Amino acid sequence: MYILIVGAGKVGYFLAKRLCQGRHTVSIVDKDHQTCEEIAKELKALVINGDACDPKILEEAGIMRADVLAAVTGDDEDNLIICQLAKEKFNLQRTVGRVNNPDNEYTFNELGIDVPVDSTKIIAKIIEEEVSFSDFVNLMSFKRGKLAIVRVDLPTDAPVINKQIKEIDLPKDAVLVSILRGEEVILPKGDTVLKSGDDVIALTLIGNEPQLLHLLAGKL
Amino acid sequence: MLSANNLTGKGRIANGMYVIIVGCGRVGAQLAKLLSAEGHDVVVIDKLRESFIRLGDTFNGLTMVGNGFDLALLKQVGVEKSDAFCAVTNGDNTNLISAQVAKKIFRVPKVIARVYDPQRAHIYAALGLDIMSGTMLLSAMLRDKIIESRFSSYLIESKDLGVIEIEVKDNLAGKTIQDINIPGDLIVVALRRMQVVSIPETRTVLKNKDILMGVVKVSSLKEIREKFQLGEK
Repeated sequence: MYILIVGAGKVGYFLAKRLCQGRHTVSIVDKDHQTCEEIAKELKALVINGDACDPKILEEAGIMRADVLAAVTGDDEDNLIICQLAKEKFNLQRTVGRVNNPDNEYTFNELGIDVPVDSTKIIAKIIEEEVSFSDFVNLMSFKRGKLAIVRVDLPTDAPVINKQIKEIDLPKDAVLVSILRGEEVILPKGDTVLKSGDDVIALTLIGNEPQLLHLLAGKL
Repeated sequence: MLSANNLTGKGRIANGMYVIIVGCGRVGAQLAKLLSAEGHDVVVIDKLRESFIRLGDTFNGLTMVGNGFDLALLKQVGVEKSDAFCAVTNGDNTNLISAQVAKKIFRVPKVIARVYDPQRAHIYAALGLDIMSGTMLLSAMLRDKIIESRFSSYLIESKDLGVIEIEVKDNLAGKTIQDINIPGDLIVVALRRMQVVSIPETRTVLKNKDILMGVVKVSSLKEIREKFQLGEK
């Protein structure tokens, strides 16, 4: 795939580096001349120095050939406008826009960005998970918040302890994805037995979260 | 919750508009003062509190510190009830996003964005946003001043006479220029059809989406708007 990245900060740089290692063609645009020089020395990518809000710069970076554009600058306005230019002027099918301020995620969605990636919210979620002692954590939401991956840490008095998975009457539209037991990762089968202290990862519709928690951990 | 109704200034007029202006630079402040002095309800939003100094002491509208596309802030100032929204910060992208938020999310009837960059102005105008590019306008006007080969609207517009734009919709389609002209009050001088501008003949038949440019007597403006169902601009 030909991937055009705008913004060569930490996110843009590591993204470009990773994608270059796969068999992708990468071009990267940044406003800062020095950043561009450094990246050009290090990565096998086409590096363009300029403002990607200018359609000419996008053309130089090969937008006509690109399959995806990822706008990952630290400026939400720039990211949004660049994605819109890519879609509206160059008919690019897929645009990924980094959202720096979580308040702007809704606006990104409404104004037609295909995949808004809210880096602040993601990081905040991970940190929240690490610092909280809650035994129920929403790890990730998909499909505009309809579907979620959640983690439930089974307390010692959980009703499902010593039960086989097939004995548990899971809510509709929820599946257990994996069980973390100490350092071990178990892919659950019907005859897997749950133990106290297991962390259960499940995929569920958001509406079924309370039911799932009640069922697994015995509380609401 | 603030709304158009409780922002009533001392000079409030019967058909006053509720206008939100984003950006309190020279243009934003001047526009706010003009509208406010005419009795319209005005809210000015700017990132910096200091910017509001430009409004002077006599401005009686509302000022809010914040971002022009902050949904919560816009709701707080009653954007849903506003009649017009004008984004005139010094950032093209900020203006374009604020304007799209006002138009697409809050459905403000009249939304205008100022854009310096002519390229972006063209692209977003083609996407249906109402764009004012100072760069393009001013350079065209300056050119006309220098070359002196053209008349511009600012040469015609005065206290008594103005230039009016009429968009042809169903109620006018099929009529001729002669049906539109009102001797002494309105004369159509130009017709834009697609991207071509021409001087129409009196028997030219109008089509939907044509834009007519006419010279109009300011005192008859209200009747003319009513006659052609133009609504308030």
